[in-house]
Amino acid sequence: MTQVAIVGGGLAGFVSYLTLVHGGVQPDEIAVFDPDPDPAAIWRRRAAAIRQRAMRSESDGHCLPTSFPGLAVRDAVRRRSPVPLVRSVCDRYHPSVDLFLEHVAELREQSGWDERVRRERVERVLPTEGGFFVLEGHGVFRHVLLALGHPGLALPEELADDPRVVHAYEPHEYSEEVTVVGAGMAAATEWLNALAAGSRVVSVRRREPARRPLNVERELFSRRGLAGFQRTGRSERVALLRRFGEPSYPPGPAWDRPLDQAAADGRFRIEPTVNGSVQVICATGFRRGWMHDALLADLVARHRLDTELGWIVVADDCSVPALTDETRTLALAGAPAQWAYPAADTLVGAKYAARAFLRRVRRCRTR
Amino acid sequence: MSYTLRGRVDSRLAAALLPLLAACVLAALVHAWWPVELAGLMLGVGLALDVLVYDRVLDYQPGWLAVPLGVLELLLTLAAADGFSVRAPLGPALAFYGGSWLVAQALGHAGFPLLRLSYAEDGGELGSSGPGAAALVAVAFAAAGGIAWAKLPPTVHLAQGVHRGPLVITRRENLVGERGAVVRGGIVVRADGVTVRNGSVLGGENGIDVEEARHVVLDHVTVAGAALDGIHVRRSQVTIRGCVIDSPAGWTQGIDLSFNADKGMSMVEGCTIVGGRQGIVIDSSGAVVSGNRVSATSLQAITMTEMSMGTIERNEVVGALGAGIVCDDQSECMIERNRVSGTRADSSTDALSQKGYGIISNYKATAELADNELLGNARGVTTFAGAVVTDAP
Repeated sequence: MTQVAIVGGGLAGFVSYLTLVHGGVQPDEIAVFDPDPDPAAIWRRRAAAIRQRAMRSESDGHCLPTSFPGLAVRDAVRRRSPVPLVRSVCDRYHPSVDLFLEHVAELREQSGWDERVRRERVERVLPTEGGFFVLEGHGVFRHVLLALGHPGLALPEELADDPRVVHAYEPHEYSEEVTVVGAGMAAATEWLNALAAGSRVVSVRRREPARRPLNVERELFSRRGLAGFQRTGRSERVALLRRFGEPSYPPGPAWDRPLDQAAADGRFRIEPTVNGSVQVICATGFRRGWMHDALLADLVARHRLDTELGWIVVADDCSVPALTDETRTLALAGAPAQWAYPAADTLVGAKYAARAFLRRVRRCRTR
Repeated sequence: MSYTLRGRVDSRLAAALLPLLAACVLAALVHAWWPVELAGLMLGVGLALDVLVYDRVLDYQPGWLAVPLGVLELLLTLAAADGFSVRAPLGPALAFYGGSWLVAQALGHAGFPLLRLSYAEDGGELGSSGPGAAALVAVAFAAAGGIAWAKLPPTVHLAQGVHRGPLVITRRENLVGERGAVVRGGIVVRADGVTVRNGSVLGGENGIDVEEARHVVLDHVTVAGAALDGIHVRRSQVTIRGCVIDSPAGWTQGIDLSFNADKGMSMVEGCTIVGGRQGIVIDSSGAVVSGNRVSATSLQAITMTEMSMGTIERNEVVGALGAGIVCDDQSECMIERNRVSGTRADSSTDALSQKGYGIISNYKATAELADNELLGNARGVTTFAGAVVTDAP
């Protein structure tokens, strides 16, 4: 009997599948629902759109269930050089996008992933006794993990119908003068891309970006910081999540030097509003909140799930309390699980949700 | 990685298991406890730092920080080893530490994450394996301690009063004299690992006679009226601490360590020696003579001779007749921070070496001097017969 359904076959779903298999769940007990069997398809398109060459994540930014051996080890072996390892222990190793995608492709082939993917889109999840219906004709799944990904790209309302606008994560070239809206990692990448393409760049931002290596403080990736976060009350947690969501990009001369030079040459400037540029690139990230995802919105509405603004209030193990009990599990992975794990939209976050899900699967297994 | 406190302790204990096992094997091979003691000190220092410092200071610990923290822990471990008198040879001790550190790094970066999926996420905690590791470490130390306890030499208490000697010790044991315990006629040591603590010896040809024995400790013993030597050591390795020796007039010596060159370094420390022809004689031996007070000798107070090697430091030589400190007969002596005062010339002889020199280097000996204080001696420092005196660098 197929026990487990993963809804969503992107990177979060892929990492979850690998974690479950590593944890002893047989592959034929798992069904993955996604129209596209390539787990990196969306991520690849977005990375290509912003010409991303290196990952922001460090050594743990890979899809293997265990943190060792990561991509630094793989890179060191391949290059026969200790440099990636040394950079890794100094938190300065950022795997290249090519290396990461190659690693995903390899794992996809080795893990039997494609055989587990049912190429269908899940519109809603319906609880039933001892499990959930996911799609008609596919039976009941005792444990369901929703790895739905981001619910679409975010565009400022006032620019939604502007014909000059393209989102940073959509394919685009650069015109002579480019206005980049936003101040996070994607925006910073676009500033450098456009400058490298010979464009003049206008940065439109509502606030100055924070400069930090990762989206959230490092201790929040582990129990040390997480325990405090998970003890917070609702309003405090909302404030924290908002702070973590503020735009940021890493510090360092690789970012600052070209921007300083371009500013000195009159090719980079900051303005408060969009001006008359021919091209406006919105590096404004993703839409946030359960209400933007049809499946989640349906769940919330049907079962009156506990929410706080845009967040579904999940348990610390990312499960949805109202629909989880001793016999079944409904859990979230990826960005929707932020209430439990602030960096839920990272690969490490996906693993956190997957491990917690694995614990529940193990605990409730009946054959 | 961001460790929790429990994660630090769990990881520390689990990583200590393999080195601890290696230490037990090594201890069995070298017939010494220093590997286990060192492993215990390393673990103790590490745990103390984990609880008192690291957990409070380091919210996040990047991988590279393991190197400076490893050096810090090494220095503290060495200091603790010194403080607890763990007699670990430096080279092997450093190698053991380095090996243990590498094992801990390999486990922390690779082993534990492979064994436990959520190792990093759990801040280094090992779940139920953590207490298991703690229990195993405790069992290992308890077992080692139990074996050490079982192998402790028996202790023989010498009751108050006079005991007819000579007492001959032919097995490893501790002989502890109660207050007022006196052995008349001497003590003879003929076994390794003997400790004689406290107690007094009266008379005898030699007060305490040690022959063909290693790791002998003579701790706070008193000898008076021995016909030849207060303490007489041949082909042995000894540590003599805090002794008091009163030698009668005539051809007597306070302490004579001879023909021990191949037995390792001996130590004479903190003793008080009065009278006799010679106070302390080191002959064909390696020794450290430190912090003793030698007075009223009638030939030489402290002598290192016949190809001996060693250090004569922080001793006080008072009122010697003839010579104070002598480095003789091709010996290599470091003579440092001693205070030699009131050395008088022996008018009964024409020997140049008896003219009241504070320090003498004689017959191809090399004496390296530093910071010695010579007060009121008939003569100062001299060399005879191709000997050399140098200033310490």
